Amino acid sequence: MRYESARLSDFSAPEKPRRQSMDAGFFTLALILLAMGVVMVLSSSYARAYYDPGKVTGGNGAYYFLRQLIFALLGVGAMLLASRLPMSFYRRYTFHFLGLTLVLLMLVPIIGVKANGSRRWLGVGGLTLQPSELAKLAVILSFSLLICRFQGKMRSFKYGILPFLTILGIMIGLLILEPHFSASIILIAIGGVMMFLGGVGLGWFIAALGGVTAALAVLLTFFPYASSRISTWRDPFSDPSDRGYQIVQSLYSIGSGGLSGLGLGGSRQKFLYLPEEHNDFIFSVACEELGFIGAALILALFALLILRGYWIALHQRDRFNFLTCAGISTLLAIQVFLNVAVVTNLVPCTGISLPLFSYGGTALLIQLFEMGIILSASRELI
Amino acid sequence: MAQKTPSPGLKPGPSRQMLRRTLFLMAVFGIGAFLLLLARLYKLQIIDHEKYESMAIQQQLRSVPSSTVRGTIYDTNMNTLAVSASVDNVYLSPQEIEMYGEDRDLIARGLSEILDIGYDEIYEKSGQKGSWYVTVARKLEKEKADEVRAFKNRYGLRGVRLETDTKRYYPNSSLACHLIGFVGTDNYGLEGIEARYDEALSGSPGRTVRATNAMGTELLFSQFEEYYPGEDGFDVVTTIDETIQYYVEKHLKQAVADYDIQNGAGAIAMDVNTGQILAMASLGGYDLNNFLAVSDGDMTIINAAETEEERARLLSQAQARQWRNKALSDTYEPGSTFKIITLAMALEEGVVSLNDSFYCPGTVNVIGRTSPIRCWKSGGHGSQNLTQAAQHSCNVAFVNIGQRVGAERFYDYCEAFGFLNMTGSDDENLTATTGIDLSGESGSIWWSKNTFCSPRNLSQLAAASFGQTFTITPLQLICAVSACVNGGKLMQPYVVRQLLNPDGSVAYEREPKLVRQVISEATSQKLCQILEQVVGDPNDGTGRNAAVTGYRIGGKTGTSEKVSLEAQTGQKEYIVSFIGFAPADDPQIALLVFLDTPSNKSGVYVSGGQMAAPVVGRMLADILPYMGVEPSLPESAGDDATVPMLLELSQEEAKQRLSDCGLDCRCIGWGDTVTGQLPAAGTAIAAGSQVILYFGGAQVSPNMETVPELSGLSYDQARDTLSRLGLFVSTRSPVNAASGQVVSSQSIPAGTAADHGCIVEVTLIDENESLLGKY
Repeated sequence: MRYESARLSDFSAPEKPRRQSMDAGFFTLALILLAMGVVMVLSSSYARAYYDPGKVTGGNGAYYFLRQLIFALLGVGAMLLASRLPMSFYRRYTFHFLGLTLVLLMLVPIIGVKANGSRRWLGVGGLTLQPSELAKLAVILSFSLLICRFQGKMRSFKYGILPFLTILGIMIGLLILEPHFSASIILIAIGGVMMFLGGVGLGWFIAALGGVTAALAVLLTFFPYASSRISTWRDPFSDPSDRGYQIVQSLYSIGSGGLSGLGLGGSRQKFLYLPEEHNDFIFSVACEELGFIGAALILALFALLILRGYWIALHQRDRFNFLTCAGISTLLAIQVFLNVAVVTNLVPCTGISLPLFSYGGTALLIQLFEMGIILSASRELI
Repeated sequence: MAQKTPSPGLKPGPSRQMLRRTLFLMAVFGIGAFLLLLARLYKLQIIDHEKYESMAIQQQLRSVPSSTVRGTIYDTNMNTLAVSASVDNVYLSPQEIEMYGEDRDLIARGLSEILDIGYDEIYEKSGQKGSWYVTVARKLEKEKADEVRAFKNRYGLRGVRLETDTKRYYPNSSLACHLIGFVGTDNYGLEGIEARYDEALSGSPGRTVRATNAMGTELLFSQFEEYYPGEDGFDVVTTIDETIQYYVEKHLKQAVADYDIQNGAGAIAMDVNTGQILAMASLGGYDLNNFLAVSDGDMTIINAAETEEERARLLSQAQARQWRNKALSDTYEPGSTFKIITLAMALEEGVVSLNDSFYCPGTVNVIGRTSPIRCWKSGGHGSQNLTQAAQHSCNVAFVNIGQRVGAERFYDYCEAFGFLNMTGSDDENLTATTGIDLSGESGSIWWSKNTFCSPRNLSQLAAASFGQTFTITPLQLICAVSACVNGGKLMQPYVVRQLLNPDGSVAYEREPKLVRQVISEATSQKLCQILEQVVGDPNDGTGRNAAVTGYRIGGKTGTSEKVSLEAQTGQKEYIVSFIGFAPADDPQIALLVFLDTPSNKSGVYVSGGQMAAPVVGRMLADILPYMGVEPSLPESAGDDATVPMLLELSQEEAKQRLSDCGLDCRCIGWGDTVTGQLPAAGTAIAAGSQVILYFGGAQVSPNMETVPELSGLSYDQARDTLSRLGLFVSTRSPVNAASGQVVSSQSIPAGTAADHGCIVEVTLIDENESLLGKY
């Protein structure tokens, strides 16, 4: 409480941080990747939109592209708006946001929209929203704030572990109801990273690692579904027409690209061979069309964006700002890594979209808003 | 950094530990993870690039075979026997019908109307879930296909599709059906030359390789499409002569009808010097353009069957029977025709000479047989020389001749003539084929050498001497007999002599293949002489019914009992046959006719001499002039008289001319000069016929007359019967009134309406069967 009052008095202090112009490098990288992403949505989705086997687009080849373009423009607006809001704003509304997210997560299993056997979306008007996207940001913001609050006590179980695991536990419990396995993994990863940054003892992580390994062993031994996933991962060509279909098609795409690719628009795999080609597997199409050179360029731009995000984090005078920026950068990194690792069959297949590339309006909006938060922090550099 | 933080205690920046841990995260997530991904991409895109690319291409490319033109089959004079034309198949793509929401009712109604297929069937096909290809109609000719195309375009139906296919046409329907064969719906040769030369005829299909989407349809921006041209098939030039084939089939059909043949008939015409098959027929035939349809008679039996399965079984049985080439696939005991072979080996070995005398008491005892072998003439032929023994087809004499040759030599000659192949084992039954380039050839069946050559049992040799106790194919017999008369050369028979490239140039030329020289030239000549006497001697030759005036024809009759069948059923059935060749002084063509199981109710004595020999004679009478073989009596058309030119002559002069030619006349109308005559000048008619002369512009009566039944009448009787109707008779058989000749067949069947002046050509045979008899 004493700390709380001190903070409040501090907030009224005259030396309110002077806001600078936002970081041009991070902004530019984000825009370049977004532009590439939108173009790739056009290229990858055109065939499916044209043939329209799912009866969605009415044969309009640019259907997905136009929607993604609109959301990209809205998203840039959201990013600029987010960059205008001071970091104190995010700090102030962190728990409100956390509360809202939890309420939405609870609503999903009740009134959510079902697709492919999972109930992950909330429908609002013509739009759909995945509350799990919000949950990622909520974890980053709320953990950052809690770490600031529990400064110096992070090594204790009561402060350093319990509150965090409680929040994560509730969220993951709700996600399992959907179910949404990949979002759970990301939440655990980002939550773990936040705790790691917050100063939780390394021993906890070693213990967690052991626990996860044991849990996986149990899972693989007793749940045939899980072990079949692993065997599909080890050898997707053992069942290329069913369980291995997605990954086999993805490998065909990526492998076909070679060094310089088939040229933008030249993918053949996107002609209904590759599933989710404008979504989770959009990077495969990029590899096929742009080759190793293009794929490496995209990865390099992502790496620069992420490193720039960390750089901005490192140059924060405020611990909350620092933690938020580092968290969002890490979230971005985890998502990029997992997506590319999945499509290249480096890790077992699960549905993770590629930030700024994959088709999906609200997710794109949220991602750009998160980057806007980093830009906002970049106005408060040392 | 630290000094810029005004109150570190209250508003802390990141701790040192946090900065350390952030640097660690940067290393892991900002650099390490990306290096790992790059390494993975390098592996997939650079190292394994070709592997994945080829796998991807394999799934993306559809190779659509583009139809190539199946080669044409020609006869030896380049007349078309089989030709392919472009047609269309119609199919539905239910998936696209659903995708574009096309009206199934409209499609079913439209197509059922155009194609005459049930509405329900098409409607059901148009709704097959998940299918891209459901065939509705195959091989539509252009007219129908255009209607479908117009219907499709009128309503913009994407689910109704057409594809090009080819269809095989056989201009001569059933002619040479067993030789030509047919193709199935997939244009794959199933029988005959179509099957045997399928690879050459079909060529290699071209391919259009195009990148497709997962639905198998074209890519949106067709970036990739390559055409690999196929190679059209070779055209096949056969040795078959359409005209000879026509004559052979015509007369064979006539014989089947005349003698009420129960079990089909076959004929082979071969060029004796090359082994080229000029014609090959097997009755009953079938229409190549509708090869599944069976004869009406069979259909009646099939429809009478109780159950559906029984009907299907009977149908496929009837189809298999009509597709069977008896000349190639059936084996039989050749009977007396085989005496040519026995004679050939005896002459070649010098164990007989033309002057040898053979006494036939009517029976002969053979070691190993309980009952004596009987000659067909119960009283025996008495004393006869070698030629007479052949003319008489005397079994007793030939048993004697066979024994002079000896079993071992006999067996060796049989191998030399291509009837069996030695395998090194003397205990197994042996077989052989000619190796003709047609499928479905059966092999002969012979006793093992040990059985045949046993010194304790000469009955095998004795029976084999006159062609019983073993079975061979008709083709084997004609090849061996050709070798006997062509100078001793056994030729391999064949039906395809050339393959032509699509541009008409010769891709492959088959040369006649000499299998081996079996007998000497001199022996062959002697054989020709003897065999000519079998046909040519009007008094003593069993084959004389095959004679054609003006031509030198040699040959041998055969009447073989189906011994094995008799053993099974106790029923006596015969295959009557005749093998002839001409001209006897320089043989060019050999002709074998066999009639399987003639009815003994036909009124004609069941024997090769009475039934098969006249058929061969009629065939040769047509074929030899066609082949350009000059008759040795060029001026005369047989023993008939040739009608002279009588127009503008006075009645007196005309009558004089006619009587000079041995003809009579009848006058119609009044006038000074002849204004019309029947028949026209140059026509050959029987001597003594009444030529009709018209005077003063009198017209030929337009009435038609019904041709009467002539068989059984003498030549003169036939002439007079027809004369009363204003019809005429002619023959190419040698006329020999003394021997009691009767008409055996007529060119215009009884009951047919014919114009005045029509000429009915008849074949004459000897009524006196005691001279012809069996064998």
